[in-house]
Amino acid sequence: MSLTDAEALQAGTLPRRHDVRARPGARVTPGEVVAGAVLLFLALAAIVPELFTSLDPLAISPSEAFQSPSPSHWFGTDESGRDVFARTIHGARPSLTIGVAATAIGMVLALILGVLGGVGPKPVDYTVTRVGEVLFALPGLLLALVFIAIVGPGIVTSTIAVGISAAPGYARIIRSQIRAVRGAPYVEAAVVLGRSPAAILGRHILPNAVAPVFVLATLGVGQAIVWASSLSYLGLGAVPPAAEWGAMLSAGRSYISNAWWLTVFPGIFIVLAAAAATSLGRAMQARTRQVGR
Amino acid sequence: MPQAATAPSRFRPLAALGAIAAIALVAAGCSGPAPQSTEPVAGGTLVYASGDAEPTCLDPHVGGNYPQALVATQYLESLVSKDTDGTIVPWLATEWDESDDGLTWTFTLRGDVNFTDGTPFNADAVAANVAHVLDPETASSTGYLALGKVASTEVVDDTTVRFHLSAPDSSLLDSLSMPWVAIQSPTALERGMDENCQSPVGTGPFIVTEWAKQDSITLVRNDDYNSPPADAAHEGAAWLDQITWRFIPDSASRFAALQAGQVDVIDNAQPSDIAASEQSDAITDLDAPRPGASNRIELNSGKAPFEDVRVREAFIRAADVNDGIESLFFGTAKRSYSALSSIEALGLAAEEHFSIDPAEADALLDEAGWTGRDADGYRVKDGQRLSLTFPVSTNQSIPAEQSLFEQIQAQVKNVGFEVILQPMDLSSWYGALGANEYNLVSAPYTKVGPDVLRILFHSDSIIPAPSGYFANHSQVDDPEIDSLLTEASEVSDPEQRAALYADVQERILSGYYVLPLYDQQNHFLVGGAVNGLRAMPTVSTPTFYDVWLTR
Amino acid sequence: MLRWVLTRALGGAFVLWAVATLIFFGLRAIPGDPAEAILGGPGSQASPEALERVRQEYGLDQPLPVQYLTAMGKLLRGDLGTSYALKLDVASLIGELFWSTLVLTLLSLVVAWLIALGLAVWATRGGRIARAVGSGMEIVAAAVPHFWLASIFILIFSSALHWLPPISTPGPLGLVLPVLTLAIPLAGFLGQVMRESLTDALESPFVLSARARGESETGVRLRHAIRHASLPAISLSGWAFGSLISGAVVVETVFARPGLGRSLLSAVTIRDVPMVTGVALVSALAFVLVTIATDAVDRVADPRLRST
Repeated sequence: MSLTDAEALQAGTLPRRHDVRARPGARVTPGEVVAGAVLLFLALAAIVPELFTSLDPLAISPSEAFQSPSPSHWFGTDESGRDVFARTIHGARPSLTIGVAATAIGMVLALILGVLGGVGPKPVDYTVTRVGEVLFALPGLLLALVFIAIVGPGIVTSTIAVGISAAPGYARIIRSQIRAVRGAPYVEAAVVLGRSPAAILGRHILPNAVAPVFVLATLGVGQAIVWASSLSYLGLGAVPPAAEWGAMLSAGRSYISNAWWLTVFPGIFIVLAAAAATSLGRAMQARTRQVGR
Repeated sequence: MPQAATAPSRFRPLAALGAIAAIALVAAGCSGPAPQSTEPVAGGTLVYASGDAEPTCLDPHVGGNYPQALVATQYLESLVSKDTDGTIVPWLATEWDESDDGLTWTFTLRGDVNFTDGTPFNADAVAANVAHVLDPETASSTGYLALGKVASTEVVDDTTVRFHLSAPDSSLLDSLSMPWVAIQSPTALERGMDENCQSPVGTGPFIVTEWAKQDSITLVRNDDYNSPPADAAHEGAAWLDQITWRFIPDSASRFAALQAGQVDVIDNAQPSDIAASEQSDAITDLDAPRPGASNRIELNSGKAPFEDVRVREAFIRAADVNDGIESLFFGTAKRSYSALSSIEALGLAAEEHFSIDPAEADALLDEAGWTGRDADGYRVKDGQRLSLTFPVSTNQSIPAEQSLFEQIQAQVKNVGFEVILQPMDLSSWYGALGANEYNLVSAPYTKVGPDVLRILFHSDSIIPAPSGYFANHSQVDDPEIDSLLTEASEVSDPEQRAALYADVQERILSGYYVLPLYDQQNHFLVGGAVNGLRAMPTVSTPTFYDVWLTR
Repeated sequence: MLRWVLTRALGGAFVLWAVATLIFFGLRAIPGDPAEAILGGPGSQASPEALERVRQEYGLDQPLPVQYLTAMGKLLRGDLGTSYALKLDVASLIGELFWSTLVLTLLSLVVAWLIALGLAVWATRGGRIARAVGSGMEIVAAAVPHFWLASIFILIFSSALHWLPPISTPGPLGLVLPVLTLAIPLAGFLGQVMRESLTDALESPFVLSARARGESETGVRLRHAIRHASLPAISLSGWAFGSLISGAVVVETVFARPGLGRSLLSAVTIRDVPMVTGVALVSALAFVLVTIATDAVDRVADPRLRST
């Protein structure tokens, strides 16, 4: 028995309590309001950045380089005189895209692996688990480095690389959740009642199995952005002059002792995105928790 | 019952980091002014931290790159050296003579020098070294090219050696001054490449005793040293007991280590760090531009769109780099208008070719047929966008330089060029160059003497080596330039030589094949305990022979 | 128990073989000539004779299946080959570096655990505000990239306060900043995972019955809830160890610490196939061993698992 069964046991046999929080349609807490507002702000920044700033994030002005935050430049200017606020706002689109896309890629791969492992016969399960372990065993950065070396650097490549590195983790959890849910009473009831396997899978197993992964997936969005920024630090990430939080963080690091605003503001936005996503995930999970019905 | 909650500490990033930044700047000088001392004292260990990649072989005959030159300067010596005026001065060779036809050079060697393994330095040793460099098994690149015209060597007697050349070579002395053809003990060479790479044996002021990979190289004083070059500050053994040569790839950590006193000298200093150290008494800047080419952007004239000289000129008229260089490099790099380093005596600077005129650029592009514009504002001709790929080696281009390229990208967009910057690692970068997948590139080349122009701009240099490497990235293929370069490399009259090289450079600069930026930056930041450090006028590597410590 | 260990060991061997195979084909897929890497890296301007000689010496001119079988055979015998770049035996190179990285990653794992546990305990005792703050700190910690955290630490603790050396020195003091840099983001992640299961655990029937039996709140929290809550975090430790090795690449580079991470980066950059293979295998081996160990701990901690 592998460690995933530990999780399965935990998930499967720990009955949910009847609690104020685990209720669909519960009242929103102040924390959730704030998180929602932050996400809305970031989403708007990603879709219509012009709403927040009229300055061109790519407009260079070397004579105005390294200006600290001021009324004319809220977040200061960078090493080429570009307005950091404009770059941070415009950076929402590529950064969130990386975070969401990498997580989505990871989740899709994880669903495939996890469902195969959770639902399939024992040999399939064994193989899939081993595949997952192999991907796990390779350091994520090595996977990314080799993948980028083969395909060539760029945002798309690093997004895919980060997604692939994240997949085994999610797959393992999905698989264990599916296994746990398979043994639940309501699934047994559905089998006894003669429901088709597809219906059982689609209506009972999958929703219950996938929901707990949401929190981890939302954690993953922030992690994905951070990983992509580490790849930028190693010289393998976003292509200039794109404003992307991770690349800005990495580029601004050279000037950290004399121009702190170059890294602090993109860093704050990364944290905001990660925090808001995590809160959203928790809120969704609280509302969709299925008590063993 | 829950305990009373403690007041949550609020994270105030702005104020906190602002304060920290201020403290950091003030604390940059916190090691204090060094005690004054004018008399050298013997003793002590100096720690050098390099930001370059660790060499794979400590024998500079093998391969031949700058990190090897940096460390080999401490334990290997060459036949001749150069002084700060550019004059060749004696070192292991005391006299030299060129025959009238230029095909024979006779060198008189010192008779009182031994290698640190006891083998005497003599003409046999020189012959063995030349053979080693030219041997394909050694896989020498830089040294091999430098001695390209040496057909054979002849041992006349212990202190006389003759070089027989296949063609006259006006740059032979320049070449022989470089560490990549330095003289090693023939006994050591016979041990085989693997062992010789670990600990080469020379005549220099220090001896390699240990190499802990990924960690450090240990060099100890050669107590029997007696062969300093003519422009050294003293004679006899070096003052330092030992040098620890470390590799710290991250530039911020390297500088922090210098400030903390953990290391004494660092290289590859970042411009912001150089500027910061100017405010401190404790740390000084040794500015030693590398010889050879300047840091320049080469325009690939071998394929579209840069095969048209008007398009090349338009690019140069639109790329206004002066403000960027000033701000990104904090004033530590001076704009260059020459294809050669400013320490090359025969370098020609031609500022008039590089004036900025966007209107002129527009006119030139219109004249060249790039009259259409697409939806993004880039010019098009026959359905093709005016697009330039620019592979950038993140290993070689520091962040400030990469930012400069971004600025150029933004500026030339105004006249309709699209520049696609492609940051990549070194291997992929060489691959892109070898496959001719570039329109713009910035590639350093370090060599002593104006002969570097032949390597960079002669059409022979477009032919790739088996590995795919070639040096003439702007793919200049001009028979007149070729013949001038060949002639200059053979003529021995200094005035004639200077005139020829000036002519060549004028043609190259007015052909808009290159956009010179600045000298190859080579700044060393030196801690307060270090005295007497200078850079060799040959390849601008620091020599620790005259250095003493005051701790 | 023995049967369980044997099954896991077999599984581990399979993982190692699969890793070796993946690396073999993965590295061959990277554009570039390995013979050139052997002769001193890119741009070496090697002559065609030298390249040919190297190809023969290293068996690079053999058909791919033959090369693969030869490589696997060597690995089975424990022969990791010679580094293309450093011309030294890979096994001995890794041996020297492995200890350094192992110390760094294990210490970081322990410190991360302590921080996460500490925050979890504080959350259970401190009420809503403590929970919110702890949760906030964890989110921030998990969202910070290693290279950035490293810079901040060097700036604060070295440049400003002069308490610690900016680059790694032998001895414990030189480990503090690298370990903290690796541990804090991981602590954030582990903490968030634990928080979820801790909340669950605290409201579950067995805790209720413990309270009903009159156990003190602290006792309930420490003895029942946290033990229970730790289970998913323990099982994640195997994965966490793997991610620490990735983090070590950046941390070892920034703090100039010799180690597997740093050499992995340079090995991939210059296409040093034996070195990359060696490092990948060693970290895979470490991962497998840590996973087996954490599973064993799981079985000890959670008696429900022993029956399967």
